[in-house]
Amino acid sequence: MTVFIIRRLLQTIPVLLGVILVVFIIMQFVPGDPAVLLAGDGATAETVARIRHQLGLDQPVLVQYVQYVGHVLQGDLGISIRSQLPVMKEIMTRLPITIELAIASIFITIILGMLAGIISATKQYSASDFSIMILALLGVSLPSFCLGLMLMYFFSVKMHLFPVTGWGTWKHMVLPAITLGASGAAIVARMTRSSMLDVIRQDYIRTAKAKGLKPNIIVYKHALKNALIPVITVVGLQFGILLGGTVLVESVFAINGLGRLIVEAIRMRDLPVVQGGVLVASIIFVLVNLGVDILYRSFNKRISLD
Amino acid sequence: MLKQQQNEPVLEVRNLQTHFFTDEGVSKAVNGVDFVLHKGETLGLVGESGSGKSITSLSILQLIASPPGRIVGGEVLFKGKDLVKATDKDMRAIRGNQISVIFQEPMTSLNPVYTVGEQIAEVLRLHQNLGRKEAWAKAVDMLRLVGIPSPEKRAKQEPFQLSGGMRQRVMIAIAMACNPEVLIADEPTTALDVTIQAQILELMKELQQQLGMSIMIITHDLGVVSETCDRVAVMYAGKIVEQLSADQLFTDAKHPYTQGLINSLPRLDQEQEELQAIQGHVPSPYQMPAGCAFAPRCPHAGDICHTAMPELLQHDTDHEVRCWIYTPEWQGNDSTMMKAGNAS
Amino acid sequence: MTKNALVEVQHLKQYFPIKGGIWERTVNHVKAVDDVSFTIYEGETLSIVGESGCGKSTTGRAILRLDEPTAGEIRFQDLDILKLNKHDLRMLRKDMQVIFQDPFASLNPRQTVRQILNEALTIQQVVPKEQRSARIEELLAHVGLRPDHADRYPHEFSGGQRQRIGIARTLAVNPKLIVCDEAVSALDVSIQAQVLNLLKKLQAQYKLTYLFISHDLGVVRHISDRVMVMYLGKIVEIGDKKSLFENPQHPYTKALLSAIPRPEQKDKRERIILKGDIPSPIDPPEGCRFSTRCPFVTEACKQADPALRAISEDHQVACHLVNI
Repeated sequence: MTVFIIRRLLQTIPVLLGVILVVFIIMQFVPGDPAVLLAGDGATAETVARIRHQLGLDQPVLVQYVQYVGHVLQGDLGISIRSQLPVMKEIMTRLPITIELAIASIFITIILGMLAGIISATKQYSASDFSIMILALLGVSLPSFCLGLMLMYFFSVKMHLFPVTGWGTWKHMVLPAITLGASGAAIVARMTRSSMLDVIRQDYIRTAKAKGLKPNIIVYKHALKNALIPVITVVGLQFGILLGGTVLVESVFAINGLGRLIVEAIRMRDLPVVQGGVLVASIIFVLVNLGVDILYRSFNKRISLD
Repeated sequence: MLKQQQNEPVLEVRNLQTHFFTDEGVSKAVNGVDFVLHKGETLGLVGESGSGKSITSLSILQLIASPPGRIVGGEVLFKGKDLVKATDKDMRAIRGNQISVIFQEPMTSLNPVYTVGEQIAEVLRLHQNLGRKEAWAKAVDMLRLVGIPSPEKRAKQEPFQLSGGMRQRVMIAIAMACNPEVLIADEPTTALDVTIQAQILELMKELQQQLGMSIMIITHDLGVVSETCDRVAVMYAGKIVEQLSADQLFTDAKHPYTQGLINSLPRLDQEQEELQAIQGHVPSPYQMPAGCAFAPRCPHAGDICHTAMPELLQHDTDHEVRCWIYTPEWQGNDSTMMKAGNAS
Repeated sequence: MTKNALVEVQHLKQYFPIKGGIWERTVNHVKAVDDVSFTIYEGETLSIVGESGCGKSTTGRAILRLDEPTAGEIRFQDLDILKLNKHDLRMLRKDMQVIFQDPFASLNPRQTVRQILNEALTIQQVVPKEQRSARIEELLAHVGLRPDHADRYPHEFSGGQRQRIGIARTLAVNPKLIVCDEAVSALDVSIQAQVLNLLKKLQAQYKLTYLFISHDLGVVRHISDRVMVMYLGKIVEIGDKKSLFENPQHPYTKALLSAIPRPEQKDKRERIILKGDIPSPIDPPEGCRFSTRCPFVTEACKQADPALRAISEDHQVACHLVNI
């Protein structure tokens, strides 16, 4: 297992370098000149040129890139063009909020999704099965901002159950977490259902029945642990999609998290913040996937002997 | 081999019928099966694929997937109680406890994510109310009993770390843990190598002697039957066509199917130019022929065979046959009957 | 009968690499076949017998070059087949065919029987286009199927019938050698008998040579001329069928024969029941591979791997305890 972890960690280095490169290249093609934006309307060409030099944007692209990589390795993600604060600081003040939101959402995705999937599978072809699958279809098809606005309208504006926007108490978390976790829950539900159906047909479930075990034990002890193995991979992938989804949800609910920071930065052509934000998000994603892989292997010892 | 004692019956199956209701129609997989398992004896249920023998064993323990299967008739009497009418709760108290079953595929019959020790201990905690530590200790004992070396170490391993032969031993340990009265072994050695097969059969015989249980072995392998069974029931197309002692099987088989099976075995002690095969193939359980199911393949079939199903009748002491040839109604034209056992 | 060698195998080795460690390097090998040499003569049936991990299937596949052997030489009619380029190898495939164990998996479920046989005829250019239909009907008749079977799909047939289709497919290209890899193991006993009879009939009719791979000694006894017993990648005994079955020399052969439940011998016979499991081919035992389970093992057995030595004209054995 340790060998595996080391090997995977080594593999993440080229991945992260690649991410930095891709973001850097994309930002080169984005229309708009940060120096011009920063200088504001009516600035002279000299001012713009001076600002450009200040930001180091007049250097050759390759040099800019190398400099950037060097700084990243030292933990310096640059200075935000808009706020003049260190990018790292900007990100770190907002990151905890996004992580809280992400965890709450993953909670919804996993718990809701798994339960729905198990019920669907054990009562295959029943009314519950069909209704759950239809809800799942909705969950996947409905865009998150649409769902978010609907929930906000009914539960906050009309019924005053939850605050409309902002962050701070657990009540602030509910609607955004549901919005963000819904489509993931739908996918997990479908995955769990098909995995459970597969597992229930296996010979070792027949053995469990032949031992005289109660149906609940057979489902939750014998079947579930096996069925979860493919579901774990899906959850890992979902986390990445979730991180992307924070952008929309944070905007809808006016939450001051990393997603919203990145969106604003893109609008303002605040290149350092965009690069820094995407980099941090990527690192989180890669680490989460590593965690998922480790979890997967510990569930399924057979593979860990590779 | 235990001498068959005319002890009291421990399991009586009467006219068992298990049908499967699918889109393709009704499959009469088990269509009227009768046999008796006595205390301390080993009964072999013999048949090829499609005969319904595995479904029979699953039906006894009510393990048929329902839908699409269902026991539509008959009785399974165990200690005076009809299992077909038993509740789910009753059956759970019997499974793994008073009647155990081991299956054919040792590679897939154990749960891959739990240790083998845990899978044995579970049964002990369930039926014998043992605590965790006690159950684990006994699980290790069971592993020792079934001949697995270093049982303490093995108990902590997961199934994939064991070979096929060892996994089957673990299955036997699980089945025997609560000292059941009946063990049903469904093709227990088919998936194993020949030398391992010999070990497992030897083990089962030893355990039977030690613990005094009754065994029903389901197999297609007549050699296994001759080595381990006291009595044999031959199944074809969902029905028992002959029941006799294992000693008589190779010398005195009466039903043409049984004779055909014996004759199609390649012999290790004789040169044969051509094997005597049974022509044709097993009928589909969705479309059973009218009359005797074996008639289309039978070299001696007469008119009555194609129109009416014979009953399972007593032919001799401890020998029953389901065949028109041995009934007073027989007016078949074939007087040169195939001699039983040793081939022409 | 003059014996012409059809296939000569010399020092065949087939090692499969196992990768591990951080850099996914090859850390060890599965020594599936470990220095095996034998000859298959024209017109005979040579059987390879053994249990899991003995290397019999791997040997068959190596001869067909379905896997590339790690080392050794294989000559087919005096042609070194390991040196052939892709094109010549394809031509050679016409002469060497195979029937697999699983009648369900070895036929394309999306092709009718006619398409399956047609494909075989087309790839090897066996007969001109106009004659293909007639040849297909001929083939079906030879294996005991009817012409109207040609337009059906594999799932409409039983296991035994599918195996017959597989046989028809190999016959289509007029091969010289057919490797039967557990060809009847998945069939019921009564169907097995039918297919074995068919194989024997076809061999006489078409002057075929069979390499029959099986774990079932009863079947092997019935169909072979010569038998080769393998254990953990090595040949332990090889020879004329009669000699081997009536006078087995190697302890493993004796144990194999004795392990088979025998209906004909009801009275208690001396059964040799081996202890323990078959060792892994990744780490075979030192010295004689069978030493860990042999009931007659001596110190000498654990030191050196015995070589195959002849005890009679057509019977060789690899065992330290057999006196020549």
